[in-house]
Amino acid sequence: MLLYILRRILIAISVVAVTLIASFALFYVAPTDPAGVLCGERCTPARYEEIRRSLNLDEPLPSQVGNYFKGLVVGRTYESGGTTVECEAPCLGYSYLLGQPVTKLFAQAIPVTFSLVLGGAIVYVSVGLLAGVFAARRRGTLFDRVTVGVSLILNSIPYFIVALIISLYATFLPPTQYTKLFENPAMWASGLLAAWLCLGLANAASYTRYSRGSMIESLGEDFVRTARAKGLTERKVVYGHGLRAALTPVASILGVDLAYQLTNTVFTETIFGLPGVGLMTLRAFFTFDLPVLMGGVLVGSIALVTMNLIVDVLYTVLDPRVRLS
Amino acid sequence: MEPTLTGPDTAPMGASSTTVAAEEGMPPVRKAESKSPTRIALIRLRQDKVAMTCAVIAAIYVLIAIFAPLLAKLEGQSPTAYHMDMIDPFGYPTIGTTSDHWFGIEPRLGRDLFARWVYGARPSLIVGATATVITTIIGIVIGLVAGFVGGWVDRVLSWFIDLVLSLPYLLFAIATSALLVQAFGGAEGAPPETVARVRFISLIMVLSFFGWASLARLIRGQVLSLREREFIAAARVLGVPTRRVLFRELLPNLVAPIVISTSLALPAYIVAEAGLTVLGVGLVEPTPSWGVTISSATNYYRADPLYLWLPVLGITILVLALSLLGDAVRDAFDPRTRR
Repeated sequence: MLLYILRRILIAISVVAVTLIASFALFYVAPTDPAGVLCGERCTPARYEEIRRSLNLDEPLPSQVGNYFKGLVVGRTYESGGTTVECEAPCLGYSYLLGQPVTKLFAQAIPVTFSLVLGGAIVYVSVGLLAGVFAARRRGTLFDRVTVGVSLILNSIPYFIVALIISLYATFLPPTQYTKLFENPAMWASGLLAAWLCLGLANAASYTRYSRGSMIESLGEDFVRTARAKGLTERKVVYGHGLRAALTPVASILGVDLAYQLTNTVFTETIFGLPGVGLMTLRAFFTFDLPVLMGGVLVGSIALVTMNLIVDVLYTVLDPRVRLS
Repeated sequence: MEPTLTGPDTAPMGASSTTVAAEEGMPPVRKAESKSPTRIALIRLRQDKVAMTCAVIAAIYVLIAIFAPLLAKLEGQSPTAYHMDMIDPFGYPTIGTTSDHWFGIEPRLGRDLFARWVYGARPSLIVGATATVITTIIGIVIGLVAGFVGGWVDRVLSWFIDLVLSLPYLLFAIATSALLVQAFGGAEGAPPETVARVRFISLIMVLSFFGWASLARLIRGQVLSLREREFIAAARVLGVPTRRVLFRELLPNLVAPIVISTSLALPAYIVAEAGLTVLGVGLVEPTPSWGVTISSATNYYRADPLYLWLPVLGITILVLALSLLGDAVRDAFDPRTRR
């Protein structure tokens, strides 16, 4: 078990390292001109050289790479408009356009994305499980067929369309804004409600199908028959025995989905105007803010790899039939 | 490469059906109508009413895209002509749907909405189809090579497949688009036509780069189990060259997973194209595209609902039809549901 986890961690680290090196190579070696973009339209050669120096683009490549990694581990300093800026330990670079260290920018953005994804997950898991269990118990009836059909169609509608329509027309919901959870929990929840419902309802369709299928399978198992035979109430049979066994596969899908959504909230964040990781990266796209773009890619990779690792390890705990090799 | 890949669809299907019969240990029954698995699947698909309806809808979209200039000419409008005389000082159109402008005109610039709508079908289908073709070819080749050659080649390719699959797709798509646009000279200051063309190419490249890996992994797994079968061993003993073994013996047996993955990939790429375009990462003006129209129409959704809903419905119905068709294709080709 320990060996398995260690191996997985090593693989995870290798993926992040390769992502880091590849994005670094692409961004700094590719025939692009980040200094020119920063300098803008009316660019004097002196100003251009200054920007190049401040981005360390005048140094040889190995020393650029070395500086970047040094910044990641121990931090580094940047010169910006005559003042020196301290960039602390996991330093992902400095955004000259926003005048802030990238790590700090993402430290503000990550809680937004987390709140969004977790709140959405609560909505779609509860709605999906309820509808799925309901449909599974009435398998073959009109309700079941309508549920399956609706979820199939909902699943095929592009998510950004659903989000767009909800954000435009669901004006009865409280206006979307982000407040820190610890500042004002009520504002936090009401400001995110529309985005949660949007993310939740769009994903509830597939969870209805998963939990329905899983529930039908577990209700057909021998232990459910045994539970019925010993005279348990129907409620206890369904929720205490059937649902409990049906949760494992749903939980493993949920883990993968959470990992995926943490890096794919760009649409929700952009459409609802929530300043999370996705929106920040998208803004950096428009301004060609290289350090922030790179930071977004790196933060996303780390989140995805870490979540996948956690899911894989948890899955072996949840399902004793999974043997580790 | 092209003819070898498209060839097995038609020619060696008979060979494939005999191998299936041989694998299941049945005597090779040689009746007049021996059906290949693909034939069976197509027959089942043809009996599926939902699938046929969706196929017809998709075909209509393709026709609209092909005959977009003709349809626009029928209406008598062009997708790029401005009609500023019908725009009031606040930017709103003064006309609704008329016999001249079947879907009305755009706010602000006054371009004809019907013409833009029919032309808008083009980028969706072209980007989706091109990305599907590219990713399918790359996925097949990488998967075949990794699974068949094995050894360190397989290890390197598998590692690369795993790497691509574990990247945060959307964030990477945004970052690489930025890079490609810069690298190809589509930055600010370039003429709009150049920018539009650069965006078009870089969008296809981004979608292709992230799309091939899942098919490659699927094919690799299938090849790993197929290459131990007797008919492959027989071919190798007979001294059939490796390329022939790959494309003539193995590929026909991989038709089902390839068809399934292709038919599910097409709507996914169309969604990705429109989604990235709505975000501002994909296509840009002056390309008439549904994504471009949607992103500008969100500012006018109350005053001019038609402006927003036409491209929204266009993309939704197309994707819905293609997804349901893809599901039907999967059911038809899936050997577990074979009757």
